[in-house]
Amino acid sequence: MVEQSVIGRRRVMAGATGLALAAALPLRRARAATPTINIGYFVETKPTMIAKAQGWFEEMAAAKINWIEMGSGAQINAGMVGGSLDIGMGIGSSPSAAGISQGIPYKVIAMLDNIGPAEEMTVRASDNIKAPADFKGKKIATPFGSTSHFRLMGFLKTNGLSLSDVTVLDLPPEQIVAAWKRGDIDGAYVWSPAKAELLADGGAVYETYKELDARGYVIADLFVARNAFAKAHGMAVTGILKAYGKALDLYQSKPDEAAAIVGKAAGVSTEVAAANLKEYDFVPLREQLTSQWLGSPGKPGAFAAELEHTAEFLVGQKSIRRALKLPAYQKGIDTHYLEEAVA
Amino acid sequence: MIGLLHRRPWIVTLISIAAVVGAWAGATYGGLISDLLLPTPDELWDGAADLVVNGYKGYSLGAHIGLSLLRVGLGFGLGTILGTLLGLAMGMSEVLDALAAPFIEFLRPLPQLAYLVLLIIWFGIGETPKIVLLFLAALPVSAIAARDGVRNVSGERVRAAQSLGANRAQIFLHVVLPSALGEIFIGARLSIGIVYATLIAAEMIAGASGIGWLILDAGRFLRSDYVIAGVLLIAAMGIALDRGLLLLQRRIVHWAGK
Amino acid sequence: MSGQAEGGTMRPWSRYGLGCLSVLAALALWQAAGSFRLVPAGLLASPAQVVAALIDISRHGYRGTSLGQDIAATLARALAGFLVGSAVGVPLGLWMGTSRLTTAALDWIVQFLRPLPPLSFLVLLMLWLGTGNLAKVALLALTAFPIVTSATYAAVAAVPQQKIQAAQSLGASRAQIFAHVLLPAALPMISTGLRIALAAAFSTVVASELMAGSDGLGWMIFSASQFLRNDIILLGIILLGILGMGLNGLLLRLDHRLIHWRGRE
Repeated sequence: MVEQSVIGRRRVMAGATGLALAAALPLRRARAATPTINIGYFVETKPTMIAKAQGWFEEMAAAKINWIEMGSGAQINAGMVGGSLDIGMGIGSSPSAAGISQGIPYKVIAMLDNIGPAEEMTVRASDNIKAPADFKGKKIATPFGSTSHFRLMGFLKTNGLSLSDVTVLDLPPEQIVAAWKRGDIDGAYVWSPAKAELLADGGAVYETYKELDARGYVIADLFVARNAFAKAHGMAVTGILKAYGKALDLYQSKPDEAAAIVGKAAGVSTEVAAANLKEYDFVPLREQLTSQWLGSPGKPGAFAAELEHTAEFLVGQKSIRRALKLPAYQKGIDTHYLEEAVA
Repeated sequence: MIGLLHRRPWIVTLISIAAVVGAWAGATYGGLISDLLLPTPDELWDGAADLVVNGYKGYSLGAHIGLSLLRVGLGFGLGTILGTLLGLAMGMSEVLDALAAPFIEFLRPLPQLAYLVLLIIWFGIGETPKIVLLFLAALPVSAIAARDGVRNVSGERVRAAQSLGANRAQIFLHVVLPSALGEIFIGARLSIGIVYATLIAAEMIAGASGIGWLILDAGRFLRSDYVIAGVLLIAAMGIALDRGLLLLQRRIVHWAGK
Repeated sequence: MSGQAEGGTMRPWSRYGLGCLSVLAALALWQAAGSFRLVPAGLLASPAQVVAALIDISRHGYRGTSLGQDIAATLARALAGFLVGSAVGVPLGLWMGTSRLTTAALDWIVQFLRPLPPLSFLVLLMLWLGTGNLAKVALLALTAFPIVTSATYAAVAAVPQQKIQAAQSLGASRAQIFAHVLLPAALPMISTGLRIALAAAFSTVVASELMAGSDGLGWMIFSASQFLRNDIILLGIILLGILGMGLNGLLLRLDHRLIHWRGRE
């Protein structure tokens, strides 16, 4: 009698434990199925704003998103180190190269855009600046640490201009506009909307991007994903990229509608949004997988070399302690989420 | 043992410092903390040495320190002198006090970073907005301290002087002012603290020099070695400034006699 | 001994009246500067524009957060940082005031933290504690802590030895001396320290909202500056100033109420 009840008790215990486990498991899986993604982003006139406004990111990643506004790529890096950011959207290639070199635990998963002419040197039309030598004695402003800063320093270097020839000032974009209006600066290397305001106020473009791109000063805005997060939620990461792809498609097929959505989200008029959007080279997701850009898994593309070059440049600026060799930057790019997103 | 420690407390301080440094070294060398978050002691040393030898982005370390001190000195000096004069006047004249008090009381708790943007818009991007910001940080505290110093002058003394036939100016110079000096100096020490804390915000404007800017700029690329070296340096400078003022206070207030 | 040098000759409401007059004059000057183009356009928003911005943001919020949320967020951070810093600072200061060894062991940390401009270690805190509110509140706590600790320590040290000796000779225990002699004597100075610390925390809360912010009056000002919305910038400044004055006034009144024995021997 006693033995039977003992066995009975054990069976009941086992059964209860089994039930408890069975009950707990679906709960845990359910929690894993709707993760919360912490995304650091910028309020800017780019197609990411479309996907954000329409909720496509949440939809395709099947996740809740914590949108954290960033002031600079450096803040994205800081957030990644501390683990408080999972995805960085729109981080420049400069801070990304720095991040990979410093061992920040993230990888580049896609390009947001190739910047090209969108960030450019703007000078006063009345100053009649036609050649690099004309920059001597001028005050040029740029936000330090940005891709524009990188380009400006590249411009000085490739044209043999030193920091005593040209005064370079660190100003955020909105102060560049104010300084320009006051006449405190002679030029700026910056992006729109600041750039557009300078051009509208007696400014003229001094084209540098073609030459700089050819000399290895390609700049781009990127998506980065924290390693631990990506490993745990690969599907969500792919979803994020899918959502961006959808936004890009909308921009290609219906640019006016896209511009209206972007304008509303960024707090500017549709016209300004449309003009800003046109300046960027939004490389389609499929094209990013070619050898010209990020390459595909196992076949790294040319962009890794751009990151290496950027890192070497940053070492020269004392912004980072050391640059790594090319394979490190190739490994710093992980395109298999991209591949899944276009599949 | 405890008796020894009581007699020589600096031993305890040294042990305490050693414990912290030891924990830091252990955590970083032991890999508990990645070197992005905290540099190892020798990385910090290398970074500091690099700053001393090579300077930072175009200026020597001494130049950065000097420029920061110059800005603090100008802002603090102008703000404290003008603030003290204003405060003395406010203490002596109730009308002036009533007129000026709203603005002083509004300015005092106002966070400097909040109106930094305005100053840049109004004064441009040179040294002027930096000095103005530091000046405005020092002004209200000095004014209030001077005003309170005047108010707290012993009524007896004033009446005693009056009964001796002293006129207003004489009362002010020989009774009020010396008596208020103590509070004026307390205000000065408070205001230099505030000015100093505002230094970094001031150097954010079109920054290219100064210890505060150095820390912010190095922080952009997470150069924690430069950042911590800069933080240690700025702390040391701050302590030196405060001690300097304390010495000055002891000299002058003692001389003014009580 | 304190006393009015000149005697309070002005009646309170005439003081108040003069003050209002002064502010109104300043407002008029401000409005005139804009209307008569004394200041180039775009550099200064007029009082009318600021009021319009106030109405707009009260109704529709600013970029997704309501004005109430921004004010609450800023206040909450400042108070939280101040409370944490004081909760650690007052007991520590008391302990240091009564134990020379504790002072020797810990004072160097307090003295090191005191002159440190908060902005200088914000980046480090964000690296260590992430981009959320934890780093921001930590920054404010670290700003308030050394002020409170120093003031408390100084307050205890300033208690006249005679008082303590007198209590001892009456046979009071250590605990009784602490509760009935030391603490009351030290409270005025501690309270002053707390007020300064809260002012410092409030002063720094805007700095804490500079990076990775998503709400708060400081964030509103920075965000508005990116879009060159001078009216919102000015609105934010005025609101911050009023909040600051309010906090200060509140604390002063609390101080007067609770520490009614201030100034008496």
